[in-house]
Amino acid sequence: MAGSQASAGAPVVRSKLIVILLVSLLAACQTTTGTHKVYPGTTGPEAEPLTPPPPAVEAKPIEPPPAPPKPVYPQSASEISGAAVTSLMKKANEYRAAGQPDQAAGVLERALRIEPRNYFVWSALGQAYLAQKNYAQAESVAQKSTALARGNYYVALENWKTIQAARMARGDAAGAALAGAQVASLQAQISGGTP
Amino acid sequence: MAVNSRSIKIGVISVLVLAISIGGVLFAGYLLKLDKEIRDRFAGARWALPAQVYAAPQELYVGQGINAHDLVHELQRLGYRQDATLGNTGTYVGGAQHVDLYVRGFDFWDGVQAPERLSVDFSGDLVTALKDLDSSKDLDIVRLDPMLIGSIYPKQGEDRVLIKLSDVPPMLAKGLVAVEDHGFYEHSGISLKAIFRASIANLRAGHVVQGGSTLTQQLIKNFFLSNRQTFTRKINEALMAMLLESHYSKDQILEAYMNEVALGQDGNRAVHGFGLGSHFYFNKPLNELRPQEIALLVGLVKGPTYYNPRRYPKHALARRNLVLSVFRDEGLISDAEYKKDITLPLGVAGGRGGGAERYPAFVDLVKRQLENDYKDEDLTNEGLRIFTTLDPRVQESLENRIVEELPEIEKQRRMKPGTLEGAGVVTSADRGEVLALVGGRDVRFPGFNRALDSRRSIGSLAKPFVYLTALEHPEQYNLETMIDDEPIELRMPGAPVWSPHNYDRKLHGPQHLYNALAHSINLPTVRLGLALGPANVLKTMRQAGYDGDAKALPSIFLGAVDASPLQIAQMYGTLASGGFQSSPSAIREVQTKDGKPLQRFPLQLKQTFAEGPIYLITWAMEKVMTIGTGRSAYTQLSPDTVVAGKSGTTDDYRDSWFAGFGADRVTVVWVGRDDNQSTGLTGSTGALQVWSRVMKDIHVRSIDNVPPPTVEEVQIDPDSGLRADDNCYDAVTVPYLQNSGPQEWAPCSAQANQTQGPMQWLKDIFGH
Repeated sequence: MAGSQASAGAPVVRSKLIVILLVSLLAACQTTTGTHKVYPGTTGPEAEPLTPPPPAVEAKPIEPPPAPPKPVYPQSASEISGAAVTSLMKKANEYRAAGQPDQAAGVLERALRIEPRNYFVWSALGQAYLAQKNYAQAESVAQKSTALARGNYYVALENWKTIQAARMARGDAAGAALAGAQVASLQAQISGGTP
Repeated sequence: MAVNSRSIKIGVISVLVLAISIGGVLFAGYLLKLDKEIRDRFAGARWALPAQVYAAPQELYVGQGINAHDLVHELQRLGYRQDATLGNTGTYVGGAQHVDLYVRGFDFWDGVQAPERLSVDFSGDLVTALKDLDSSKDLDIVRLDPMLIGSIYPKQGEDRVLIKLSDVPPMLAKGLVAVEDHGFYEHSGISLKAIFRASIANLRAGHVVQGGSTLTQQLIKNFFLSNRQTFTRKINEALMAMLLESHYSKDQILEAYMNEVALGQDGNRAVHGFGLGSHFYFNKPLNELRPQEIALLVGLVKGPTYYNPRRYPKHALARRNLVLSVFRDEGLISDAEYKKDITLPLGVAGGRGGGAERYPAFVDLVKRQLENDYKDEDLTNEGLRIFTTLDPRVQESLENRIVEELPEIEKQRRMKPGTLEGAGVVTSADRGEVLALVGGRDVRFPGFNRALDSRRSIGSLAKPFVYLTALEHPEQYNLETMIDDEPIELRMPGAPVWSPHNYDRKLHGPQHLYNALAHSINLPTVRLGLALGPANVLKTMRQAGYDGDAKALPSIFLGAVDASPLQIAQMYGTLASGGFQSSPSAIREVQTKDGKPLQRFPLQLKQTFAEGPIYLITWAMEKVMTIGTGRSAYTQLSPDTVVAGKSGTTDDYRDSWFAGFGADRVTVVWVGRDDNQSTGLTGSTGALQVWSRVMKDIHVRSIDNVPPPTVEEVQIDPDSGLRADDNCYDAVTVPYLQNSGPQEWAPCSAQANQTQGPMQWLKDIFGH
């Protein structure tokens, strides 16, 4: 048990916080505190009920960038895309303008195989799905774009507009209003920098 | 008597006339019936056309990560041949940093790729220039024609690729007529001359050496009749041949013949027509065949079994050269060409049918996914064009590594060769496209598909979902949380006491959460799982894409959950894509046989986890690779390639798993035995050996560790678990969900030494 002893020394220098953490952990696992304990025979969850996990889609208020100066985010696809993807996005725009969102989506998916993390392409794909009336995917893909954009509010703004429209079209007025609030907050952030 | 005999005569004649009249009417009726049959058969949908299945096309663009050697390899796989003049489509000429090629035209879903001469420049592993060779114009992006990887034909069925006479090289049409039916353009369905000539030849030889059948008769025979050599059949054949000729032109009949004729057999699949024959034997389209290749196909008409070039190359060579001599006599090739051509090898593409039927496990998946949307008859009859996600380069690596590594492991472990089986899947991280699939080590054999149908215990592959469940509760758990490593006994109703132990049967004292995952320590995992509750852990697995019927029991923490490699790829794909689940897809688009878009399979995503906890679990799974059970991967991978993964070992070493991902690819490998006996392998000593080599081959992209807005990176002192600064000697950066990191400063930090209270640092900043 040498390893155990070596580790056992560590908690001595641990701060209260960790101790508190540990205590709370142990409290949470009351049934597991004693070593070599024989557990009562139930099959269900042993532990105290957990607090519900945060919702998968974090409807968190958009926070201002943590410190000035504001990070400079790319505003157009060409700033982060290679020539191949730029050309495909152009083609997708042509398809959309010609009222062929299905073809546009196909071309954008092709672009994603080349640059799978290009959030501008994901964002455009969300808009193409919206035009195809594929509302669930429009919203998912817009969320994916925002996730990949890691704080780029220009892209996030476009995505929340897509989500707002998709929710509206599905008759989810409350959801659309929430998305609308995101849009407003992002617009304020971009124009004024007010947090 | 005279009267009597006269009246008998008259009676006989009357009966005869009547009989002839009735016979004539009946015969006329019979002819009409035959005529209808022929017209129905010929004018209607003549053939049930199997769906054609294509791999994903190889893209070419500036900035792409491919070198000249790999591009040439890809071109050879597509049946392109070296030709410095680029005289025809499907040719290339390659150097160390440069490749010129004449790309074939192809009708893609979203547009046409025209045939085009291209010039590609490379600098090492990168494409640096892509131009149209004739105009020297820069091109943004070009697609090579996709590889035909299989077709969906009925059981015991005919397979064919339909061709038009206008697409057929003239040498083939003329050569075929010259060899099989010299008088084709003169006769009216049957050729008395040919029958007479054949009869003489057969009499001389004492047995049948020549058939007197015209191409028309042969076509009729293939269309309608059995192979029995009876007199009535011969008569029928001749009648129908003449009827056919009266309705249709010679060219229509020749075209039908060229699509109908049997040219070979591949297991259950009958290879019909020159279109498929060209792919089946030479792995390229008909219009790219050279004279000696055309001669081989024409020669096969006489007897595809006896002259099978793969099975009886000597028969085939003799026949081909005989046909070449006919070509010369007909003036289709010069004498010099003839002399050169007969010295050339057969040049038949290797393996089961060259390109087609190479990937039985993957095509199996394609068929299953199509069955949801299409009826069997649509797939076997309508000639649909199915565009799939298969990436031949990735597939090649997965196949090679499984085929090479399993014997190596068997040798090291002194197992009997052939003891181990393996399966694997590679998918795209962000949308779950199946790029490669191997169902067993005999990769060309369409047998038990372990990648889809083998459901084995997943062992420690389950652990990330236990830890992810914990990390979704930042108020209780973070990556630095300490968990005890102490024995546990669990009594379940009606079951023996469950007392899990660590793989090394040792106890290691309290463990940081990430470390317990990295080293795959069982007891802290069970302890954590019990605190979270099996139902919550199972829910996490389901959010990741698990759709099996495992019960919410504590044994799932250690992977008493059965899943196929493909299901694991889906579950790990959800982690790899930042919490977005997508089901593995093998199909992108379906076209009709005329190239019209029919159906697209758009991507299907759903966010099932917040990005923050996914970022944390990925961070811990990166530790698996750097300090834990996956670290031997870096004997293959470059140290600056960040990947995340997890090993899986099951009870008694029955299953050896490894699953993990980089930024763009998810790879899952399983190694085990079909009889479910112990292999003595852990996930690290077995599957990881294959996994890391595949990841190296496919140049997996490094994970880009940019935390989402909900995560903050905090420097901490590993001894105390508190905030560190530059004064702390071995501070490490650990991601925390926002506001869940330690607030107090570690003893080593400047702040802790300067100040009295724990909140002094705040006063330092804001107070003065």
